[in-house]
Amino acid sequence: MTPMRAMVIDDSRAMRMILKRIVTKLNFEAVEAGDGKEAMDLLADMTAVPELALIDWNMPNMNGLEFVTKVRADPRLREMTLVMVTTESEQSQIVRALAAGAHEYVIKPFTEGAMIEKLALLGLVPTGANS
Amino acid sequence: MSVEVEVDQSDLAEMVEQVWESYLDPEGVSPLVQTYDEDQPSEVHSSVSITGSWTGHVLYASSLAAARRAAAAFLAMELEEVSEEDVSDTLGELANIVGGQVKAMLPPGAQLSLPQVVLAPEASARFPNTQRISGVYGLWEGEPVSISMWQSSSDNKEEGA
Repeated sequence: MTPMRAMVIDDSRAMRMILKRIVTKLNFEAVEAGDGKEAMDLLADMTAVPELALIDWNMPNMNGLEFVTKVRADPRLREMTLVMVTTESEQSQIVRALAAGAHEYVIKPFTEGAMIEKLALLGLVPTGANS
Repeated sequence: MSVEVEVDQSDLAEMVEQVWESYLDPEGVSPLVQTYDEDQPSEVHSSVSITGSWTGHVLYASSLAAARRAAAAFLAMELEEVSEEDVSDTLGELANIVGGQVKAMLPPGAQLSLPQVVLAPEASARFPNTQRISGVYGLWEGEPVSISMWQSSSDNKEEGA
């Protein structure tokens, strides 16, 4: 069985490492990008689209909201589940991200357990994967 | 535009506790023990600036040993594997996360900068026309760590106007 793939998009290498560790533990194959533009470039070269993208908001070149908007405008990428993972916690920003097409929103700091629960709610990992 | 800052020391302490719980001490065995010593030494620091509805900086400072330990915990590495880049990335992300939490308590319209990391003591930080308005100072496994907020004095003047 082909493992699911997750794209981890964050300009912080440290945060990418944390997220990569979590998704790898959940048997995803992880692909990293340092900003939205790099992620779009990687996606353009991929034949199989990752099932999941974990996306920071504040990044250089192309921020997370712009990335979500671009992904949602591309029919080839419509199956991707998009999760914002960010320090942006204003209600208005959360609404903007969800309106643009993000499926879920995780505010930093987050625990590994909280992240896994979110992914379980999205049906991407079995319920109880955290236990 | 200026606002009254409603982030006090107990708020900051709560934010710091969340960071420890999430990344630095998920097992809950080595919390940051507060010393309330504003003048404790540091060897490295990182900061983010906030502009908009409030103007100032959030600064994370520690000894190099505490920074290396933070990187090891954050990145799930052995202490001896931690590189300078790991320390720098971790310090930047810690300032970013605490800065984001502070921003969340400010009125809408505040903007957070990308983090700056300096592998030198906090005393080398240059924030012109600012004053420290709040801070959490403590020891983490015997090593000094502090998180402080610095408000732009132009913000203070406007407040008084």
